[in-house]
Amino acid sequence: MSEINNNIASTSLEQMFEARAKQVLSSEPILSARDVEVQFTLRGQKLNAIRRCSLDLYDGETLAIVGESGSGKSVFTKTFVGMLDKNGTITGGSIMYDGKDLAQFKTEAQWRTIRGKKIAMVTQDPMTSLNPLKKIGTQIREAIELNQNIHGKAAKAEAIKLLELVGIQDAERRYSQYPHEFSGGMRQRVVIAIAVACNPQILICDEPTTALDVTIQAQILELIRKLQREKHMTIVYITHDLGVVANVADRVAVMYAGQIIEIGMANEIFFHPNHPYTWALLSAMPQLGVKGEKLPAIDGTPPNLFNAIQGDSFAPRNRKALNIDYIEEPPMFDVTPTHQAKTWMLDPRAPKVEQTIDVAKLSRKMNEAQPGSSDIKHPHLSPDREALVEVKNLQVTFGTGRKKFVAVDDVNFTIYKGETFSLVGESGSGKTTIGRALVRINPITNGEVYYRGEKINGKLTREQDENVIRKCQMIFQDPMASLNERAKVDYIVSEGLYNFHLYENEHDRQDKVKKALEEVGLLPEFSSRFPHEFSGGQRQRIGIARSLIMQPEFIVADEPISALDVSIRAQVLNLLNDLKKNRGLTYLFIAHDLSVVRFISDRIAVIHKGRIVELAEAEELFRHPLHPYTKALLSAVPNPNPYLEREKQLLVYDPSVHDYSVDKPVWCEIIPDHFVYGNGRELDAYRKEIEG
Amino acid sequence: MAKKQEIKTADRLANSDVEVQSELPRTETSRMTPFGANEDKNVVNLKADYNKVDANTDKKYERGTVHTTTRSRMPEKQLFDFAEYHSQDAEKTGYSNYSYWKSVWANFTKKKVAVVMAIVFFALLIFTFIAPLISIYDANTVRLDHVNRETRFLSPNSHFWFGTDSLGCDYWCQVWSATRTSIILSVSVSIGQIIVGVIIGLLWGYVRKLDRFFTELYSFINNIPTIIYMTLIALMIGKSTLIMAVALIALYWLGTARNIRNLVFIYRDREYNLASRCLGTGLWRILAKNIFPYLISVIVLRLALSIPGVIAYESTLSYLGLLDITTPSLGILLRDARSNFLEYPYLMIFPAAIVSLITITFYLVGNAFSDACDPRNHV
Repeated sequence: MSEINNNIASTSLEQMFEARAKQVLSSEPILSARDVEVQFTLRGQKLNAIRRCSLDLYDGETLAIVGESGSGKSVFTKTFVGMLDKNGTITGGSIMYDGKDLAQFKTEAQWRTIRGKKIAMVTQDPMTSLNPLKKIGTQIREAIELNQNIHGKAAKAEAIKLLELVGIQDAERRYSQYPHEFSGGMRQRVVIAIAVACNPQILICDEPTTALDVTIQAQILELIRKLQREKHMTIVYITHDLGVVANVADRVAVMYAGQIIEIGMANEIFFHPNHPYTWALLSAMPQLGVKGEKLPAIDGTPPNLFNAIQGDSFAPRNRKALNIDYIEEPPMFDVTPTHQAKTWMLDPRAPKVEQTIDVAKLSRKMNEAQPGSSDIKHPHLSPDREALVEVKNLQVTFGTGRKKFVAVDDVNFTIYKGETFSLVGESGSGKTTIGRALVRINPITNGEVYYRGEKINGKLTREQDENVIRKCQMIFQDPMASLNERAKVDYIVSEGLYNFHLYENEHDRQDKVKKALEEVGLLPEFSSRFPHEFSGGQRQRIGIARSLIMQPEFIVADEPISALDVSIRAQVLNLLNDLKKNRGLTYLFIAHDLSVVRFISDRIAVIHKGRIVELAEAEELFRHPLHPYTKALLSAVPNPNPYLEREKQLLVYDPSVHDYSVDKPVWCEIIPDHFVYGNGRELDAYRKEIEG
Repeated sequence: MAKKQEIKTADRLANSDVEVQSELPRTETSRMTPFGANEDKNVVNLKADYNKVDANTDKKYERGTVHTTTRSRMPEKQLFDFAEYHSQDAEKTGYSNYSYWKSVWANFTKKKVAVVMAIVFFALLIFTFIAPLISIYDANTVRLDHVNRETRFLSPNSHFWFGTDSLGCDYWCQVWSATRTSIILSVSVSIGQIIVGVIIGLLWGYVRKLDRFFTELYSFINNIPTIIYMTLIALMIGKSTLIMAVALIALYWLGTARNIRNLVFIYRDREYNLASRCLGTGLWRILAKNIFPYLISVIVLRLALSIPGVIAYESTLSYLGLLDITTPSLGILLRDARSNFLEYPYLMIFPAAIVSLITITFYLVGNAFSDACDPRNHV
C-alpha cells in the first residue's frame, strides 16, 4: 500500500521538477555570473578560492550549492553582495545583475544599492549575527528604516508584522527583548526577518541551519519555503548537507575546489549524477549505506588551492580517473538541457562507466528496514552477553544553589561488550555530559557507574584508576580543537604511553606509534609533523590513534563525525567499524543526527533534556518509535531523496502532552530490550501501539 | 625535442573534433565550452602549463611532472584510458618539514633592525667586560690629592676618555662597570621573575582550587605601594645587590603571573586538554606540554620588556637612596649626575645613552622575537 502511495507521490513530484525545468529553460536569468575568479592573499601566498565559476539564477527558483568546506561555495555567493573579506578580490569574470556588472563595483555606496535591498543574506550562526546589546525590534527597524524609507511608528508596526511573518509568537512583547532572551532557532528567525525586511529579489542563505538542531532545522526550512512563496524570492542555499538539499532545492549545483562541477535539477543530480565526485559524495552518505558493510569512502582530502591545479581537480581522489584528467581540465558537458557536468567521463571517447550509486533504490522511508540490518548479530541479543558498562541513576549537576542546573537526571543504561550504543539528542540535552561522566572528566553528582561490575566513580585506588583510564578512552568532536597544535603527532599519539610508561625503550615506543598510525590509515612518516598540516579527517584519525595506543576496550565517541565534511565522514565511520570488528571494541557513540547513527549502531538511546526517553535496538526504534519526542526527531531527519524528503510529515514535540502531576513517570522495559520513559497511562497506550 | 612533442599533442587535442552529447541550444558559450571551441586559448594555455611544470623541479610537482611528460606523449586513445590510482597520493598532505624553532629563527632573522640591535647589545655586553682591561685608571681610585686637585670634573679627554666625576674618579671605568652590573642585575631579575611568575601563573590559571588563594595573595601584595616594601627591605635587611635582586623578583612576578593566568583561561578548557586528562596525563605534563608552548610568545615579550623596566626601577630606588652605593650601577650614576647635570652634562649623557640603547634594543628585539614565536606567523 505504502509503495503505491510512494509512487503516486514521486510521479507528481517528478512532474513538478519537469515543470520547473521548463520554467528555467524558457526564462532569462536574473543574475548571471560568468567565469568568476576570486583570489585571496594569505601571508604573501595567493589562494585561488574561485576558479572560473559560472552560474545563472532564475526568477523564483531555489538553488542549492553543495560542497565541502573550502570548496568556495560561500565565497562565490559573497561576491554577489560584495562581502568578500578584505584580503580577497575578484580577479576576473563578470556578475551581471539588473544590467550592471557587480564584479566592477568598487565603492560601498554602489554596493548599498544592491546589498540588502535586492540581494540579502542569512548567515550561519544566529548566535553571532545579532548585536547582543540592541533590542530585537531595534535591529529589525534599523533594516527597515535604512532600506524602505519608513520611520517611527510605521517602522515599528512593520517590524512587528515581520516578526509575526517569521513565526514569532507574541511579537509585540518580543519586539522589545534582547537577543539573549531568544533561543537559537528564534534568533535565526529574527535574522531571516531582517534579511527579508526589504523584500529582496534574491535571498542567499549561507548554511542557515547548520548550527541548529534537526527539529528546529526542519522548521526553519519550512519557514524559508513559506516566505519564498509569499514574497516570490529567488533563494540560494549554501549547505554541505545533502538531506537539506533534497528538502529544499529545485536545482542543485555541486562545487569542488572552487568550481561548479555539476549542476542540474534536484532529481537529476540525486538520481542521475554524472560527475564522479557527485557519485562519491552520494554513495558516502551513511543514510544510504548497507549496515555491516563498508561505506564507499572517498580517500584523501580536497586539493590545496595554494598550488596550481592541473587537469581535473578531483582526479587524485578518483578511483576511475582517466589519463586526460591529469592533463587537461574538462569542459562543461550537457547531459540534458538543464543538467551539466564537468567531467571527461561524458566525452564520447571516454569508456562507459556504470553509475555506481542509485539513490532511488537505496533511500527509503525512515520506518522501512535498512538493507543488511536483518543479517546483523547484535551482541546485546546473544545469550552470553556481558555487561561492560552499567550506569545507574546517574545525575550530573552544574553550579550550586540558585544557579544549580541539572544536566543529566536519573539515567540508567547498560552497554554490552562488543556493541555500538548510541546516545542521540539535541544540543543541551546532556549527551556529551554523560559521555564525559563515563570517562570521569565531569564529576558525577549522584548515582553509580560500573565497569565490568566494578564501581568506577568516587574514590579509586591508584591501580584501579590507571586500569580504568587505559580501558576507557574517548574520541572528541572537533578534530581542530582536540589535538595539541604545538606538539608533534609523535608526542600526541604516545602521550598515553608516556603517562603510564607502557613501552620498553624508545625504539619500542616509536614502533607502537607507527603501528597505531598505520591502523588508522595514516602514513608512519606523519609522526614527525605538526597537526596543522593535516585535514580534518586525518586529524580525527590521529585522535583515534591516540586512544587506540592504550589498547582500550571501551571508547566514548563524542560526535566524532559531526565536524567533518561529508566526503570525510565515511572514512572515519569505516575506520570505527573496522576497529570494532578487529579489536572487539565497544562504543558509546554520541550524536545529534539519527540518520548517521542508524548505520553504525546496535542500540540507540534518545535523550531529551537530561533524561533518556527511549532506548531500543536501532531498527526497532526506527520502525516502532513510541515516545512522542522520538517520533518528532525521526520525522525531522533529512532524507537524501528529494521525492521522499518533500513528502515527509513533520511532527512537533510539545512537552506539555505529558501530564506528570499525579501519575509519576517511570523508566520501563515495555517489551524485551525496548525501554521507554512514561507514566502508567502512557505506557498502556504505548503497549497498545506496539501490539496493534 | 620533448617540447615539440608536447605542442603537437596539444594541437591535436585542440583540433580534435569533440562532440558534445546533445544538439540542444546553448544559451551561453562559457557554460559549456567544449575542448577546441576556444582553440587558440587552449593551445597557449597548454604550452604555458607544460613549460611551467617542466621548469619546476620542485618536489610538490614531482608526480605531476611524471604524468605530464609521459601522458602528453600518449596517443589520444590512451588519454581516455583509466589512470593508475594511488591511494597514498590522495592521502598526501600539502607541505612538511615544519620545525617550530627553525621557523622562529627564520622569521626573526627577517627583521633586520632587530637582528642588528641584538648584535649591538651583545657587543655592548662583551665590551663591558673588556673595557676595564683596556682603560688606564681604576674606577674606584679617588683622586683628591692636594697636588692635582684639577682631576675633579674633567671633561672627556685623552686620559680620561669619559672625563672624571665629582670625586675625580675615572668615568669611563665607572660607566662600563655600572652597565655590567645593571645588565646582570636586570637580566637575572627578569629571568627570575619570569620563572616564578610563569609557574605560579600556570597553576593559578589551570588549577581551579588555587584560584581563590592566588587572587587574594595578588590583591594583598599589589595593594601596598612597592616603594614601601623596598624601603622596609633596605632598612631592615640591608642594602646589597643580591638583596635588591631577590626583593625585585619577589615583586615583579605578580604582574607576570596575573597575565599568564588570564592567558591560561583561554586554553584551559580546550578539548585537547580534556583529551590529555582522558589519557591520564598529570598536571605538570599538561602545563608543560599543552599550555606553556602556547604562551612562549607572550613570555618572551614580557621578559624582554621587563629588562629595561628593572633598570629604570633601579634608578628610582637609587635616587631614594635604597641601593648599595658601593657597587656602581647605571641608576647610581644617573642619580649622582643629576646634581651637577647643568654644569657637567657629559656625566648624564653617557649613562643615559646606554640606558636608552638597552631599552630600545629590548623593545625591538623582544617584539620581533615574540612575533617570530607566534605560530600563527609561521606558514
